[in-house]
Amino acid sequence: MKKNLNPKHALLGTAIIVFIGALVLSILAAVTIGAVKVSLADVYRIVLYNVTHIELGDKAFLSSGTIYEIVWNLRMPRVMMGAIIGILLAMCGVVMQATVQNPLADPYILGISSGASLGATFSIMIGAASVFTGVLATMSTAFWAFFGALGAMSLVMILSHMGGGRVTSAKLVLAGCVVGSLCSAFTNMMIYIGKDAENMKSVTYWLLGSMVSARWPKLLLPGACMGIGVLFFLTQMRNLNTLLVGEEAAITLGVDLTRWRRIYMVVTSLLSAVAVCTCGIVGFVGLMIPHIVRGFAGSDHRFLLPLASLSGGIFLIWADVLARIVLKNTEIPLGVITSAIGAPIFVYMMVKKSYGFGGGER
Amino acid sequence: MNIEVRDVTVTLSRKDIVKDVSLKVREKAFVGLLGPNGSGKTTLLKSIYRVLKPASGVILMDGEDMKTMTYRESARRMGVVSQFNNLSFDFTAMEMVLMGRSPHKRALDRDTEEDYRIAEEALRRVDMLSFRDRSFLTLSGGEKQRIILARALAQQVEMLILDEPTNHLDIKYQIQIMDVVKSLGVGVLAALHDLNLTLMYCTYVYVLKDGRIVAHGPTEEVITEQLIRDVYEVDCSVVRDARSNKLNVTFFSRM
Repeated sequence: MKKNLNPKHALLGTAIIVFIGALVLSILAAVTIGAVKVSLADVYRIVLYNVTHIELGDKAFLSSGTIYEIVWNLRMPRVMMGAIIGILLAMCGVVMQATVQNPLADPYILGISSGASLGATFSIMIGAASVFTGVLATMSTAFWAFFGALGAMSLVMILSHMGGGRVTSAKLVLAGCVVGSLCSAFTNMMIYIGKDAENMKSVTYWLLGSMVSARWPKLLLPGACMGIGVLFFLTQMRNLNTLLVGEEAAITLGVDLTRWRRIYMVVTSLLSAVAVCTCGIVGFVGLMIPHIVRGFAGSDHRFLLPLASLSGGIFLIWADVLARIVLKNTEIPLGVITSAIGAPIFVYMMVKKSYGFGGGER
Repeated sequence: MNIEVRDVTVTLSRKDIVKDVSLKVREKAFVGLLGPNGSGKTTLLKSIYRVLKPASGVILMDGEDMKTMTYRESARRMGVVSQFNNLSFDFTAMEMVLMGRSPHKRALDRDTEEDYRIAEEALRRVDMLSFRDRSFLTLSGGEKQRIILARALAQQVEMLILDEPTNHLDIKYQIQIMDVVKSLGVGVLAALHDLNLTLMYCTYVYVLKDGRIVAHGPTEEVITEQLIRDVYEVDCSVVRDARSNKLNVTFFSRM
């Protein structure tokens, strides 16, 4: 007989299963919502046919035509993209917070998003494609965003290694802030000197994040990265827990802190760079979701990591639904929605006594 | 298990904090490390528990150079209770203690019944079992210290490195912690402030001043009025207490 060692674990284990169910249900529900009215039956017949090839009705209707295009080639990839990006961002947030042992860490604080913004703005405003020729001309905004994110990440790593000594979390966070402000300054300068109103609009749109461009082929990279990331971090949960108790304690508990910190930084940076270059900057998910989940699940990564990742996916699916339906005939940028929801929740948690951002009661 | 420090110099910000120190902790010996504030006790201990790298010299664990061992290997044999245990994230007392099991675990291992039993036993030993589900960050300084000791106990090591383990504790728990450590029958290297506590528990002491060992030997031979005056710059009398049959240090005020 297997004795239940910790009743809280059983509860949280159940929660993981419930959250997986909620994610699936969210995907199925979100695909029915949109500007064009499509009956529930039609939506699910199309989804069912394209997933399992079970024909319920006219095959031509299920695999071609406007309704098919909307449901299967617009909405479905978009919902899936929301789930994937949400999982990626929340997962990166959790791991980054553990890695730098700072509850405020997320892709923003560590400069990665700012680097991506700079790259994307550069590409759009300067018209990177028209300045360069050959291979460089064919590179898309996403490529430049990824490039920018990697550049920012490398700079943060170099800065925090400078001056010798151990890489401390304080150094990492400060270096992140420095690189972040630097990138923002250049981004703003480019927006300021930019003349083309159309470009300006697309930069703003990119900076605020959006799932509009989601199509099946575009899911491949973030989807694969999410899969690899999830598998990798599932094996790292014990190390992550140990990292949270401090740099010295981690070493005395047998974790090679310097090595693992470097590995986690590189992996999360790559993952968030992929997320940011695919969908622009979707704020608050990487910061807020881990905190909310930590509020009820505690700091144990064996539960925190899966629960936060799933919550991130669910949250972003519904945030994107709101982005689609709140205003008639136009979309609200996703970043606006996530921040508008995120900020008040964050304030609530700040005011609420029982949650000290992982810092206990003050 | 024994630890041997050979000619170790530790440099921080280009200043030698520990200079050419050699010491040895034999199997199951209870060794004290004395010295005034800033004498390099903590720095020396940190280089032994591998948070700082010595600029020169070697530190051997059972004759094996620690540099060549993984952190996991050394953590299975050597546990640490250090001075600062501030967290940015919260865990329950039980979760903290269970982390002591991590050097014995592979990445995907679950915490078994055995691990829980060991952790509970460790909590019981430091008299904190009733706190098992309390949040670590809500505990007092002394309670935190006892949880950290319990974590080191759960590590099931052969050598404990203690840096001022009785800081923040009232006298009952000072004695309790030292009793617990002594009863384990493992090797101990403890930096201590309290000379009377040192006399009570340590069989051998090393005395550091300005980063150098200035005296070492059996505790009762080393702790003398003269040495305390030289090292700590205070006057005192060292007298054997009739009832406990232990040496006792009484300090004199300068007024």
